[in-house]
Amino acid sequence: MNDKAKQNKIIRDVTENEYKYGFTTKVDQDTIPKGLNEDVVRTISEKKQEPEWMLDFRLKAYRKWKTMKMPDWAHLNIPEIDYQEIVYYAGYKKKETPSSLDDVDPEIRDTFNKLGIPLEEQKQLTGIAVDAVMDSSSVKTTFQEKLAEQGIIFCAFSEAVLKHPDLVKKYMGSVVPTGDNFFAALNSAVFSDGSFCYIPKGVRTPMELSTYFRINAANTGQFERTLIVAEEGSYVSYLEGCTAPQRDENQLHAAIVEIIAKDDAEVKYSTVQNWYPGNKDGKGGIYNFVTKRGLCQGDNSKISWAQVETGSAITWKYPSTILKGDNSVSEFYSVAVTNNHQQADTGTKMIHLGKNTRSTIITKGISAGYSNNSYRGLVKVVKNAQNARNFSQCDSLLLGDKCGAHTFPYIHSDNDTAVLEHEATTSKISEDQIYYCKQRGISEEDAIGLIVNGYAKEVINKLPLEFAVEAQKLLQITLEGSVG
Amino acid sequence: MLKIKNLHAEIEGKKILKGINLDVKPGEIHAIMGPNGSGKSTLASVLTGRNLFTVTKGEVEFLGQNLLEMEPEELARKGLFLSFQYPVEIPGVSMTNFMKTAVNQIRKYQGKKVLSSADFLKFLRERKSLIELDTSLTNRSVNEGFSGGEKKEK
Repeated sequence: MNDKAKQNKIIRDVTENEYKYGFTTKVDQDTIPKGLNEDVVRTISEKKQEPEWMLDFRLKAYRKWKTMKMPDWAHLNIPEIDYQEIVYYAGYKKKETPSSLDDVDPEIRDTFNKLGIPLEEQKQLTGIAVDAVMDSSSVKTTFQEKLAEQGIIFCAFSEAVLKHPDLVKKYMGSVVPTGDNFFAALNSAVFSDGSFCYIPKGVRTPMELSTYFRINAANTGQFERTLIVAEEGSYVSYLEGCTAPQRDENQLHAAIVEIIAKDDAEVKYSTVQNWYPGNKDGKGGIYNFVTKRGLCQGDNSKISWAQVETGSAITWKYPSTILKGDNSVSEFYSVAVTNNHQQADTGTKMIHLGKNTRSTIITKGISAGYSNNSYRGLVKVVKNAQNARNFSQCDSLLLGDKCGAHTFPYIHSDNDTAVLEHEATTSKISEDQIYYCKQRGISEEDAIGLIVNGYAKEVINKLPLEFAVEAQKLLQITLEGSVG
Repeated sequence: MLKIKNLHAEIEGKKILKGINLDVKPGEIHAIMGPNGSGKSTLASVLTGRNLFTVTKGEVEFLGQNLLEMEPEELARKGLFLSFQYPVEIPGVSMTNFMKTAVNQIRKYQGKKVLSSADFLKFLRERKSLIELDTSLTNRSVNEGFSGGEKKEK
C-alpha cells in the first residue's frame, strides 16, 4: 500500500483549500499612499476627525517608535519588514458611522455574511453584539441601543474618541503605555479602529460582546485597539474573531488590547485567531504582533483569557495580567496550532502585585508540518505580594518529525510566601491511537481531529459555546493530513 | 467469508507468518491457539490492515474482495475488527464521543442516516442497559482509568 503518496495527496488537497476565508471584497476604498511619517499620522487623525489630544497621543507614540527597534528575542525567524512599504490607512467611503444597516455598502454586508457574521440583528443566532471592523474602519456595531438601556457603551473606538472622550482619555494607554514595546508604539501612532466597551457599576452584560476583524485591502496593515473598562462588580464576556484574504505578500497586524477590571469585576476575553496562515510553502500570511494586557485594578477582580490560535504566518502574542488588587485572580487558557511553515511564539505574563493573588496558566501547543511553536511565559511575584499562588501547565503535542515545540517558562519570585507550580509535557500522537480509531471504523482524518480535540479539551471548554464549536472545527481543518 | 491462502508476512526482514491457510464460513467461531511468539497477534494485525507488517506471499479474501488492499477503517466498516489486548488511551476524548464518531462513520458507510447527538444518546442508553454497563464508564475518556477488562468491553 502506498501510504506516503496517499498522505501527501491528502496534505496537498487540504492545504490548497483549507482556508475558506481567503476571498477579497471589491469595494470603493479610501486609501492613503504607503509609508510612515508624521504627516501620515496627522492624516489618519484628520480622517477620523479627531480632537487635538488624540493627535498628540499619536505623535508622542510615533516619536517614541522611531527610537525603538523591533524585538528579536522571540524564537521566530521574521523576515525584515520595510515599514515604509505598508499602507497605514484603508477606510471605506461611507457616512461617518452608519446608523442603519442600509448605510452599509452591500458588498461589505455580503462579506460579513459570507464569514458567518450577519450584521442584521434579527438574523443573529444568539444574543451576541458584534462590532464588525474591516481594515481601518468599523462597519457596524449591533445591539447598541439595547445595551445602552443598561448604560453599557459598546461602539467603534473612533466613535468613542468623539462621543466619550473623558473615558478614552482616562483609560487609553493606562495598561499598555505608548512606549511599552515596538509594536505597541507603532499601533499607538497609527491605530485606526477597534472596539470600546464600558460596563457600568454592578451591571452584567446581557449578551456576549464581540468584535470581528477582517483585513481586506492589499499591502495594508491593520492596527486596531480594544479598550474594555469594567466598573465595580460588573461582568462582561468578550469575544474576538479574525480572518484575512489569501495573498502571496505578507501583511502586518499589530493590535493592542487593554482591559481594566475594578473591585469585584470580572472580564472574560476569548479569541479565535484565524488570520490567513500562508500557503503550504510558507508564502504569504499575516504577521500577527499583538500586545494584550489586563489590569486587575480592584480587589477581588478577575480577568480570564482563552485563546485558540490557528492562523497567521507568524504570531508574537502574550496576553498578560497585572494582578494589582488584593485577592485578584487571572487565568490564561491557550491552544496554539501551527502547521506547514507557520511560526508562533506565544504565552502569557502574570504579574503578582497584590496580596493573595492567584493565577492559572494552561497552554496546549500543537505543531505539525515544518512549523515551530513556542510557549513563552513569565510568572512574577513582587516583594509585597503575600501568598501569591500560580499553577502553570504547558503541554506540547508534535505531529510528524519536521516540526518543533519549545517552552520558555520564566519564574521570578521576591516573596517567600509564594507557591508556584509548573508542569510541562511533550507528546506525540501515537500510531497506536490512530490505528485503534481506524479499527473502529473512524477515518484517519477524523481520528486526528478526535485526538487533538481531546488534547485541547481543557482549553476549548473555557470558550463560550458558539466559539467552542468553531474552534473544534478549526483545529481539525488546520491539522488534516498532517500526520506523516 | 474469510479465506486465507498460504499467507506469509514479515516485519523488518524477520519472517513471522510462514504459510497460513484458513477458511472461515458464516456463523463459525474459530479460536487460534499457540505458544508465545507463534504469530497469533501478527495474523490479527495483518487481517485488520495494520501496516507494520509486510505481506510477502499469499492472499486473503474477505467477502469476495482482496483484504490486503483494504484500509483498517474499511475493514472495520465491513465488520472485521480487532479487540485489543492492550487498548490505548486517548486523553480528553469521552467514550460517548468516540463511540458516536465510530457508529456514525459505520452508518454513513452502510448508507444509513447519521445519528444526531440526542438520537445517539438514546441509542446508547438502550444498549447500555442491555449489557449492564455503568453510566460512569461512558463519561470517562477513551480507556483512561479503565481496568483491563473494562477497556476491552468496548
